[in-house]
Amino acid sequence: MSLVVQTLADGLVLGGIYALAAVGFSLIFGVLHVINLSHGILVLIGAYLALVTSQALGVDPLLTIPAVMAVLFGAGYAYQRLLIQRAVDRSPLGSMLLTFGVALMLQNIMIWVFSPDMKSITPSYAFASFSVAGITFDAVRVSALAASLVLLLCLALLLKFSPLGRVIRATAQQTLAAQLCGVNVKHVYALTFAVSAAFAGAAGIVIGVILPFSPADEALWTMNAFVVVVLGGVGSPAGALLGGLLLGIVNTLTAQYVGPSFPNVTMFLLLVLLLLVRPNGLLGNAFSASR
Amino acid sequence: MRRRDVLRGVAAATAVFPAPAVRSAYAQTAKPLVIGGSVPLTGAAAETGLNVNNGYITAASYLNDVLGGVEIAGEKYRIELKLFDDASDPARATTLIQRQLDDGTNFFLGSFGSNIVLPTAAITERAKKPMVQTGGGADAIFTRGFKYVFGMFPRATRQFAPAAALFKSLKPAPQTYSVIYTNDAFSKTAGEGVRLACDAAGLKRIETYELPAKVTDVSSVLASVRSKTPDILVCVMHDQDSLLIARQMVATNTNVKLLFQGLGPQLASFREALGKYSEGLCCSTYWDEAVPYKDKFFGDAKKFAQYYRTKFTRPIAYHVAGAAACIETYVMAMQAAKSIKPEAVRDALAKADFETMYARIKFTPDGDGDALLLGGMIGQVQKGKLETIFPGEARTAEPVYPTPTWDKKA
Repeated sequence: MSLVVQTLADGLVLGGIYALAAVGFSLIFGVLHVINLSHGILVLIGAYLALVTSQALGVDPLLTIPAVMAVLFGAGYAYQRLLIQRAVDRSPLGSMLLTFGVALMLQNIMIWVFSPDMKSITPSYAFASFSVAGITFDAVRVSALAASLVLLLCLALLLKFSPLGRVIRATAQQTLAAQLCGVNVKHVYALTFAVSAAFAGAAGIVIGVILPFSPADEALWTMNAFVVVVLGGVGSPAGALLGGLLLGIVNTLTAQYVGPSFPNVTMFLLLVLLLLVRPNGLLGNAFSASR
Repeated sequence: MRRRDVLRGVAAATAVFPAPAVRSAYAQTAKPLVIGGSVPLTGAAAETGLNVNNGYITAASYLNDVLGGVEIAGEKYRIELKLFDDASDPARATTLIQRQLDDGTNFFLGSFGSNIVLPTAAITERAKKPMVQTGGGADAIFTRGFKYVFGMFPRATRQFAPAAALFKSLKPAPQTYSVIYTNDAFSKTAGEGVRLACDAAGLKRIETYELPAKVTDVSSVLASVRSKTPDILVCVMHDQDSLLIARQMVATNTNVKLLFQGLGPQLASFREALGKYSEGLCCSTYWDEAVPYKDKFFGDAKKFAQYYRTKFTRPIAYHVAGAAACIETYVMAMQAAKSIKPEAVRDALAKADFETMYARIKFTPDGDGDALLLGGMIGQVQKGKLETIFPGEARTAEPVYPTPTWDKKA
């Protein structure tokens, strides 16, 4: 019994991190209809920025989240306005190819700057653990999960209650109507991309704290985000959370009871099943209501 | 400084060197001897790929710039490396190798990673051009009847024999082991090698765990290790996954008497990331600056390492020495064959018995390294430093067994 509970607890912790890593991808897909294949590289940029900043300032890596988010917010805004919007204006597939190309270029730039060697962020509590009712928790993973949940909640509140969130939702639901009401749609798209990039960066910090990373990992995080979005649904933090948790639990349960080499098999089986049965994901498209 | 290393490596690998000005001086006295190949300077295998690349460059540069070229059958030659970045992608590597074959390249160096070496070796084999490599150990490379492919390591299933011999010699004698490996060409066959060697050494296998090629969480595996605890846990996978396992073992207080990680503890960055928890970890290592071999070109391993440091700031690793030895082996085979014809060089490589700063080079009839001469040594982290604990003649410290539990290391 305790093994089942331990496995579920491990799955929830892992799933929370998957959810944060995917929420930015989900938002861009939901609002801009762009499949951002450079999402994984934005995640890694967050991890590298946290590594450099926390080492330079001697602070806990999780404390660098606001600064890293701010940098990626600015970079994300410029990236969307200067590159992605131009590609979107020309062809629907152009943005996908563009983000793929940017991911390749940024990966090579990261290799130049940081070397291809693996890096890891090691906070003071990196090796701490605690037990609750016989279930062992890895302190660093739990703190990463807590940070993920807080950030997802912040994004949900931002989308639900803030003026920016209202404008983003309005633009996603009825682009033309929003435009007629005076919304600068291109600016909103760029802001959405900026918010998503900021959250990708925050996810990178959380991931960097629990996993060693190198520039070659970017495809993994883009692919995980894609699966989470298909499972949970597009455009909302709740969908990302549900998809992430589901993915995490499926991963650990499969590893425990089927075999450690099978999580990818069940993950993609689930993906195919859901695409057949419920192609919009479990929670559907958050912005589809009035489309 | 690392950025500079990478830039220097990329520039040197993609260029034909020596530089044009120097080349004009050589041109009057030395003929070019082109050796082609690909190395992963980007992508998943880039970390070790860079070490392999730097080893190739170090040897070629020394032979050309310091020794003024090499003499083969009375003619002076300078080594011209034509190495290209394969981005850790087997498809790209095969295209690059095929293009070089079409351009008339006769000799090849290997990439890093069995998944790349195997398909590229198949192409050079078909063309009957030799490949000497230090990056592919999977059995499949050496069991398909290839005659032109030579490796600086024993095949993967034979690489664990020294570790099993060490386990047998430990006091108190360990009784049980479990093995974890990832689902990739090298790790899978290496995992099979662990099973063969440990079973033959009389150890009882508790469990075998196969992980996906890319790992993000091992909590369920570690829960199983805690419930069925072996004396020795062997992990054969790439260093990034080894680090993840070690970190999660510490955090979940998963203890075994000895943790053996095939790749990882050799790297200073790995030991730094684990800090005091790296104490007692064991790993395979194939070379150290202190090895006693004499070298016809560099003198010995220490002088090789000194020269390497004049060119690169990246820490030296055994793949650097192995890669440099590939070029030395080529040159010595050509000198023995008194020819630079691929068939003659291939025959000389098959008969090779050369002492280099890396090891005594001798291949099996299948082309992999002799298990005794090119087999690994075993290192253990002691006081933050990697000490050699096996074999006895190379020992720099006594093995620590059982190792302290994680909480005692804290």
